Order: sequence, then C-alpha cells, then structure tokens
Amino acid sequence: MHTNRRNFLKLSATAAVATAFGGLGLGCTPKATMVDHAAALDPKWSKQTTTICCYCAVGCGLIVNTSLKDNKAINVEGDPDHPINEGALCAKGASIWQLAENDRRPDSVLYRAPYSSKFKKVSLAWALEKIAHNVKKTRDETFTLTNKKGQTVNRCDGIASVGSAALDNEECWALQTMLRSLGLVYIEHQARI
Amino acid sequence: MSKTFFIDLTKCTACRGCQVACKQWKKLPAEKTENWGSHQNPKDLSGVTLKLVRFNEVEEDGKMQWLFFPEQCRHCIDPPCLDAMTVPGSIMHDQETGAVVYTDLTMKEKDKEAFRDSCPYDIPRINAETGAVVKCDMCIDRVKIGLLPACVKTCPTGAMNFGDRDDMLTLANERLVKAQKKFPNAELIDADDVRVVYLVQTDADSYYQFLSADASSIQKGPLSRKQFLAKLGSPIKRMSS
Amino acid sequence: MTNHWIDIKNSDCILIMGSNAAENHPISFKWVTRAQENGATVIHVDPRFTRTSAKADMYAGIRSGADIAVLGGMIKYILEKDLIFKEYVVNYTNASFIVGDDYKFDDGVFAGYDPKTKSYDKSQWAFAMDADGNPQKDATLQDPKCVYQMLKKHYDRYNMDEVSSISGMGKADLVKLYETYAATGKSDKAGTIMYAMGWTQHTVGVQNIRSMAMIQLLLGNIGIAGGGVNALRGESNVQGSTDHCLLYHILPGYLKTPLASQPTLAAYDKKYTPVSNDPKSANWWSNYPKYSASLIKSMWMDEDPKTAYNYLPKLENHKAMDYSWLTLFDKMDDGQFKGFFAWGMNPACSGANANKNRRAMGKLDWLVNVNIFPNETASFWEGPDMDPSKIKTEVFFLPCAVSIEKEGSITNSGRWMQWRYKGPDAPNGLKPDGDLLYELMHEIQELYKKEGGAYPDPITKLSWDGIATNGVFDAHKTAKLINGFFTKDIEVKGKKFKKGDQVPSFAYLQADGSTCSGNWLYSNSYTAKGNMAARRSLAQTEEQANIGLFPNFSWCWPVNRRILYNRASVDLKGNPYNPKKAVIKWTGPKTKWQGDVPDGGWAPDARYAFIMRKHGFGQLYGPGRADGPLPEYYEPLECPVKSHPFSGTLHNPTALSYDNEEKAVCDPRYPLVGTTYRVTEHWQTGVMTRNQEWLTEMEPQVFVEMSPELAELRGINNGDKVTVDSLRGSIWAKAIITKRLKPFAIQGVTVHQIGLPWHFGWTWPKNGGDSANILTPSVGDPNTGIPETKAFMVNVRKA
Repeated sequence: MHTNRRNFLKLSATAAVATAFGGLGLGCTPKATMVDHAAALDPKWSKQTTTICCYCAVGCGLIVNTSLKDNKAINVEGDPDHPINEGALCAKGASIWQLAENDRRPDSVLYRAPYSSKFKKVSLAWALEKIAHNVKKTRDETFTLTNKKGQTVNRCDGIASVGSAALDNEECWALQTMLRSLGLVYIEHQARI
Repeated sequence: MSKTFFIDLTKCTACRGCQVACKQWKKLPAEKTENWGSHQNPKDLSGVTLKLVRFNEVEEDGKMQWLFFPEQCRHCIDPPCLDAMTVPGSIMHDQETGAVVYTDLTMKEKDKEAFRDSCPYDIPRINAETGAVVKCDMCIDRVKIGLLPACVKTCPTGAMNFGDRDDMLTLANERLVKAQKKFPNAELIDADDVRVVYLVQTDADSYYQFLSADASSIQKGPLSRKQFLAKLGSPIKRMSS
Repeated sequence: MTNHWIDIKNSDCILIMGSNAAENHPISFKWVTRAQENGATVIHVDPRFTRTSAKADMYAGIRSGADIAVLGGMIKYILEKDLIFKEYVVNYTNASFIVGDDYKFDDGVFAGYDPKTKSYDKSQWAFAMDADGNPQKDATLQDPKCVYQMLKKHYDRYNMDEVSSISGMGKADLVKLYETYAATGKSDKAGTIMYAMGWTQHTVGVQNIRSMAMIQLLLGNIGIAGGGVNALRGESNVQGSTDHCLLYHILPGYLKTPLASQPTLAAYDKKYTPVSNDPKSANWWSNYPKYSASLIKSMWMDEDPKTAYNYLPKLENHKAMDYSWLTLFDKMDDGQFKGFFAWGMNPACSGANANKNRRAMGKLDWLVNVNIFPNETASFWEGPDMDPSKIKTEVFFLPCAVSIEKEGSITNSGRWMQWRYKGPDAPNGLKPDGDLLYELMHEIQELYKKEGGAYPDPITKLSWDGIATNGVFDAHKTAKLINGFFTKDIEVKGKKFKKGDQVPSFAYLQADGSTCSGNWLYSNSYTAKGNMAARRSLAQTEEQANIGLFPNFSWCWPVNRRILYNRASVDLKGNPYNPKKAVIKWTGPKTKWQGDVPDGGWAPDARYAFIMRKHGFGQLYGPGRADGPLPEYYEPLECPVKSHPFSGTLHNPTALSYDNEEKAVCDPRYPLVGTTYRVTEHWQTGVMTRNQEWLTEMEPQVFVEMSPELAELRGINNGDKVTVDSLRGSIWAKAIITKRLKPFAIQGVTVHQIGLPWHFGWTWPKNGGDSANILTPSVGDPNTGIPETKAFMVNVRKA
C-alpha cells in the first residue's frame, strides 16, 4: 500500500496537481498546501473509461480514470449515469482501484516442479508450451472413443476443469469451446457451488 | 451557498462504501487490525481513518436494533477547534462551503491534542507519519468542482446526502417526519450548529457517546454543550477572509 | 432473476429469505429502500439478525434448513384461506391439470422410488393425457386429482404448530409472515422474493426455490412488475458463465450435453425437442435443432453440424451424482484425473469439505491455476498438513489481468449483458484470461496438427481463429460469433441475408448450418445495429419509465425482455392486471404490445403465457425434478433431530452423498447447527479481497458468531480465539458473541446455531485463518449437486 501511495503522490506531483489552497478558491495563505486529487481527473491528465463491478452480480457501473502518463489507474468510483447504482458502490466496489494497483500481484508465471518445495518464476511462453504438452499427453493417454456398451463417446476422462464466473462472457464461451473440443466432460464452476 | 451533509441513519446499511471511498479518494493507507469481537474495524478514527462506520447492538423488549453510525467531522458552523489553532493557516474555514479544513501547517502546531480536546465530537486525530492533525475535509477538492464528497457519492440508500444547506435542512425535516412514523424517538442531532446533520432512529447515545455534542459533554471536556452553544455567539477567529 | 434490480422498487412486499441482500448485494438495497419509501414491507427470514434484518420491517429467525416447513405452511395458509389469485392460477398455472393414477405419496416418499439407486422413476408422476395427447384439465379446480386439490392435500400436514416446532420460528411471526406476504395475491399488489445461496446450498435446494415459485404462482406474482422469482447471483458474471454453460450437463444456451445413447445429431435433437399437440402452446423449445446446429457450427465452422456433432464429447447420463462438483473431487481423490484446470477459481477454499479437495489435488499429475493473486489452490502443496516432498503434482500458476484492464461483457443477475472497456494497462505484462486461453489452445492445436494424437479432429478442425484477430483474442469478434451470423446467402422470414451478416435474433437461426450462433440466448446482442451490450441510453417511454425498464441501456436476454413471463402480467384480453404498474399492454392488432418486449408477439390469448414450458403453464406441480413433483420437508443430511413432524422420512431420499463419509445426525459430539456465509467486505474465497488492505482492515480475520447463551455454556468471551470442529476438520476463529443470534426451541429442545464466513484462507493475510469449508460436508442437492454448506453440525470450544 505504501508503495502505491507513493506512486500516486509521485504521479500527483509530476502532474502538478498538488495545488496551493488558493487554487481551490479557499482564499488563504499560500503556505498551506494540499493534494488536489480532483485535478487528476482532468482530461489533461487522465482518460475515463466505464466498466462494471467485478464482484457481486448487481452489475454496478464504474468510472475508471487512467493516467495518460503511465496508463495506471488513478481513481475508480461509481458511474452516476448507470441506472442500477446511480453512482453508488459498496465497500468492495469502492476499493477496486486497490485491486489493480496492488503490490501483491505477481510479476510472472510461477511453476512448481513435482516434489519441489518452492515455486520458481518462468516465462508465460515456456509455461504455455509445457501445459500444452501435458494436455496432449494426458488426453492421448486417457481418451475414450467408446464406452463399455460400445457407444461412441469421444471423451477425455483424465482431465477436469473448474471455472469460471470470474471470466467475461466471451472468455466463458471460448473456455467451454476449448474444453469441449478437447473432449472434457468434467466441467464445473462457481454456479455449481 | 454553504454546504451541509444530511445523514439519515435509518437508511444506513453499514455497507461501508463510504469508509472505503474516503480512503480511495485520498489514497489513505489501511491500518493493521484484528477482529476484536465486532464487525467495526478499525476500532476508532485515526490519522489514516477519517470516516468510520460504528456498529452497536441495542435490544429493548426483545426488539433488536443494529445501529450503524458513519462518523466524520461535523464541519461546525462555528468550529470550536479554531480556538486550538496557534499556527495561522493550520485550519481553513472556507466561507463559500463552510468546510473546516486542516492543512499541513497543523504539523507545526505545538499542542496537537488541543484540536481533539476542543472538539465536542472527538474527531481530530494525528497522522503518525506526517505529524499533521487530520480529519474529514468535506472532499473540498471535489466539492469545489461540483462533485459530491466521495462518501456521499458512494452511498447506495440515500443515507448520505450533501448539498446546499437550506436544501439539506428541508430534506432532513421531511425525512424526520417520515422516520417518526416507524421510529417515534427519531430526531435530528445538533442541526443548527453543524454541517453534518444526523437523523437517528433512537437516542443518540445508543449509537455512540459522541454522536451528539450533548452526550460528549457528559463524557469529556473541555466544553459542555451549553458552553459550546454559548460559544457560538462569541467572536471567533476566522482565518479565511 | 425473472425480473431485475431496479424492478425491486415496484414491489409491495419484499421477502428476503435465503439471502442477506444488504451485505452481499449491497446496492440492491438502493431499490429495496426505494420500495420501502413507497410503502412496501420488507421481511427478512434468516437464522441470524444481519445488516439486512436491521433495515427490514420484520425479522423472523429460522433454524438453517427448515425453509420448506415454513414455505409449505405458507402454501397451506394461502390455500386454506383461499388467498390465491384465482384467475391467474386457472389461466396461467397447471393447477387445473389432472395428475395420472400412478402418482402416490406415502410417508415422505413419492411413487417410483428405488432405494438401490436412490432415485425415482419419474414416469409415475406424469399427467393424465387426453385423446390429443394434451394434459387433462379441470378449470373448476374441483377434480380430486387436479394439481390444485393435490396441493391442498399434500400441504395439509404443514400445521402452524408443527412448522413452528421444527423451524424454531414463533407462531406469531409465522402468522405475520403469512398474512403479510399472502396479501400480495391481489391483482394490484406485487410480492417478490430475494434469495441466494441460503436456499440453494441444501440437499433440498431446488425444492426450496420451487416452494417459493409455487407461492408466487398461487399469488399471481410472476411476470409482473415488483414480482418474480429473483435469485441474487453472487458473482459478477455467474449468470453469463451459467448461460455459456461451463457445467457438465449443459451446452451454451442451456442445451443438453449429448449422451452416449444419442449417436447422431438427429437422435440428440429428437430427445430434447419437446412436442406439444396443443396449438396454443408456443413450446419454444421446439426450436431446439436450430440452436444446437448453430452452436456446433460456431465451434466447427467448416464442418457440417451433423459431422461435427461427433466432436462433442458424450456423457453416460446427466446425474449430478456421477459428474457434478462434489463427485469431480471425489473422483479426483480416487485418482481418476491426471490433469486439472482451476481457471479463475480457488477450489481449495470454495468447495465443501475443503480438506478432501486439497488432498485430492495431490493425486494429480498437473494442475493449472489462473488467478489474480496467489491462492490456496496454486499453493495447496505447501498448505497445512502437506508435505511437498511427497506431492508429485506439477503446478502452473498463471497470473492474469483484472476486470478494469480488459474489454468484454458480463451479465448481471437481472440478465443485463453489459460491456466493459479497458482502462489501465495490466502491470508486468499480465494478460487477460481470454488471451491466455486463446494462446494455450492455439499451442495445443498446433501440436495436434504437427503430431496427430487421439481423435484429433475436434481440435484440428476447431475454428479457433473465430475468436481472434491477428493471433490475439478479440472480445468483439467473439461476441459477434456468440450472437451468430449467416454462413451463406439465404432468405429468412422474407428478408435476404448475405454470408457474414449478423443474425438479427434467434428467430432467424437455422438447423441446417446456414447460421452459426455460439449461444442462441445471446442472439440479438451484437447485430447490424452494433454492440447492444454497450448501449448507454437512458431513454424510455412513459410506460417503461413508470416501472424503470431502461430498455435502451445495455441489453438483456432474451431479446432484451426485461421481465420474464410478462404475458402473465395481463389478462386474456391483454389488459394489465395492475394498470398502475403495467409491464406490457395490448393496444390492438396494428399497434400490438407496448411496454416491455412481450414473451412472444402473438395477440393476447393466442398462446399460453409460459412459452418455455411444453404445455405452456407455470408448474405448480413439477414432475421433472429428481426428488419429487412437489416440495417436501426433509432435514439436512446433518441435523440435530431424529425425526420431524411431516413424515417418517428424515432426509431427502435422493440426496447426493457418499456412503463412506460419516454424517452427524443427533451426534452429541457435534450438537450445534453450523452455517456459512459472506460479508460485504469480502468476496467468495477472498482471493481478490483478502489481498486488498482496505478490505482486510475492516474484516481482518475469520470469525464465528454465536449467541451469549451458547458462549456462556462454552465459557467463551467476546473476541476469544475459539476452535470450531466438524466431522471433516477444525478451524480457529475469533468469537463474535451477539444477541443477533438466538437459541432455537426445536421440538421442545434448545438448539444453538453458529455461523462463520468462508472468505478466508491460510495463504493471506498471515493471521487471517482458514476456510470455513474445511467444516462443510460433501453432500448435495440431487438435482443440481450444489453442496449443503448452509446447514451442518459442529461444535465450538475455547482454543
């Protein structure tokens, strides 16, 4: 959090949004200063995009301000023009900025080898290639063309998948397409639990 | 036109959107907390927590009430904390909005506790990192460009309201009449003296000892409610010209 | 939801039961509050007094799992006092249908039960048919075998005294609840139900909801503004992920997954295309073959759907016991699976019986976990009681972009499909899930093209570039494919379309491969008019504005219909039952309907109201469910009683369970009823929220809520660290001792209930605690397989 806060303040400083009180029209001694967060919402400094909250399924609208300088989020709040939430957000919705600007987000793919006691960082390309080989090996080993009754089943009983309601519609559709083309039948996700 | 918050506690669901929206807007860090047998956390206002939803359970005649109190600076009409100021400019009292704003010059104050001691609502705190005395600033940066304070903007149920003082007092009185149908003891707290007017559904003490200035005078000084109200008539320092 | 969030404001009585809406769907309370301001009564029924109860006009406590007793009692109350909306019940429900002679109900068991398979032969519940093959009816509702009379007989046992004694709800509260809710049976009154996992996560989950759906039908509350059956879905896109059917038993658009017994597309279509001989039944599912062919075409664009049908995997059956979540982990624990994807999920914490699931993952060869933050699934091998040196599972953890960093759509609980735009860049070059899965499948496809392998055609012939542009996942292109387009130049309904034109709506889909559509329900969402989900216009007619329909904001399925079953909101002449809150209104043969998009454009009474049902009527009697055509009271599989008042059958005889796993029934070691829930400040297993300091600041640790009475019995003080035990495992939690929980008097005995959130996990925060699902049992609903995590038996002691 502290790093993030510093980042923000740094951004604020470079964007010259730390404003003397006079700038806010408080008409007082120029020695007193405060960060004018609102100045960062100016189109000079940030772009606005609309999005929908990622938590519960009320579907509240959000406005995201993204710094033009480094493409990082600088403010996320409710969309007043959204007819469901009319600008309102709960504690989770109000914290979405921190979901994105968060030191705990990993900076690479992690791989744990069999029997290892730790993760190691690997490249995405390496991981995807290795996963693809794993999928193929398992699928080829466990693929069932016909069941005990001799009926055609064309399925892979050796791989299961769970997830996800956290994906967009287009991703959900693509994921089910991928899984079913591989022959998976053990396909489940949050809707089941 | 001067501004006022009207906070209708009969409609607060304690979603705590306001508590987070305040931190989000100001990018205030979190405190390290533990569960202490309550959902209220942090336990108290602090140098990094300027808005806090307090939770309290009251049961009378088998009827349970779970009371929620989003606490913040009241932006008094005539702020007693101005008396605690010794460094010019450490408190700004904005004439346009009525906002009472503490500046970074509070870092230079010698007796920082005096701010809290002077407050009938026990609000000001000291930020340990900067040494500044801090509290809600009415999101003055937002208000000056026509936006609602972050906490009001995020409130889903109409508990938090903000606007021109006359409009808010009208709304408060309308809501009071409606609330009294369900809650006969509903009342507005210190409406004439502050810019954050709470509508309570039961006695203010049941929410929190410092919800009303009256309650605070019983618990701690330096000003009794009588003194506080009397002071309103006396000449005070106005830093904003 | 049959209705949508804003529509809650139109209600006169809002029953919140099986949910804690103020905490888990906080912004719903904008509309609940709005209704209250307009005079609505809000009732909360729950084992705990919550933030929802605090704002309700009435709160009534209930022991977890006793819902059908209370709802069955309400059905009895409504029928006995004749509070039904009779015209609606006769015209729009199957109350008048005659049930066949094979139907029987005896001591808690319906006809056709086979104890060996723990399942029913449902053919014994069928309706008596007339010479045309349509159900026999008695519109006077007098025939002793008609559904209405069957209901009266079935619920006659649900007396107030007995309902009270098994549920723990006082009789005064029951009367007040029944009286208040039943008052919405008037034509100008609307009652709504807001429910969530508090109803689904039971071994009688489906029947909990059916009970309420029946009440809504009896009171004429379905199809109207301020009414409906409203599931408050818990994830931002769980409606969409369900619509796109990331589930074993269904394909996108709720088409069935093919079975081994259906060797051809023709056989498959025949099985799932219902036939009605009644010309007034719209029987919408008669279009099934158009939807199945269009789906298959969207996946394998260059193939004839008849050929590509072979590429779809075939299941042995659709039984939850054989394929659903709990069994997936049971089979994983048995070593069936070598590979496992946990994509955007954290099953190490989210599934019932978490220790079993964590152990099961150690039996895999490889596991792929995609998530925003490290979590208990990716790190299961180094979790509590795990020895990494003995766990072979190879683990890939792929971090991904968050929602504000990518573009695409999600569908809310009210079925609104809403477009999201990309804001900031994801840090560290992290990619959206769509990019990751596109790249992975592309890699697999290349491997099969190069090396061949087991049955490669479904993979090598997959039209995977249908979702990408220049080798990058493209949400717009995918959304267009889901909507569907014409695959050749054809004429439909007198309109000419060119190959590549977007399909205007599912009414234009074809069964011969000349159209593709990834999901027929979303056909109409991305048309020649553009991306309908991205619409932001607040424009509406006066009638639409009156009930807050917002038809030009975003888009909702099906065909932008905002309130489902809305033909039931008008009488047989098309006049609204409640003109003050009209949803649709017939304005004559030329101008037709105004208001919402009607459930089919036919003139009034030209078709029956419930167009998705084969016979066209709302189902008071539902012969399709696994556990009976009428909801019946059963205790949770773990319970504090040996018997209940309604029959000698203690548990749902068809419940999903594993015989080798012990259950606590009146077990003195586990005397307390336990339940799990969520809080506003966290979400699901907490992976996203536990990693945000603003949220953990407010709810830093797992807690257990209990009454002062129980705390005194156990010598526990507020804020103490305590241990909660069940047959599955133990966790520590901070005690919150509160009068918001009350001991229940159940059959004359004091029964204590406790509850705890399932948001926590051992990885983070460090002193936050672990998942409440360590305590919950692997038992579930026989229809859905949803685990019974809302009622199970535990003990609590000082740590």
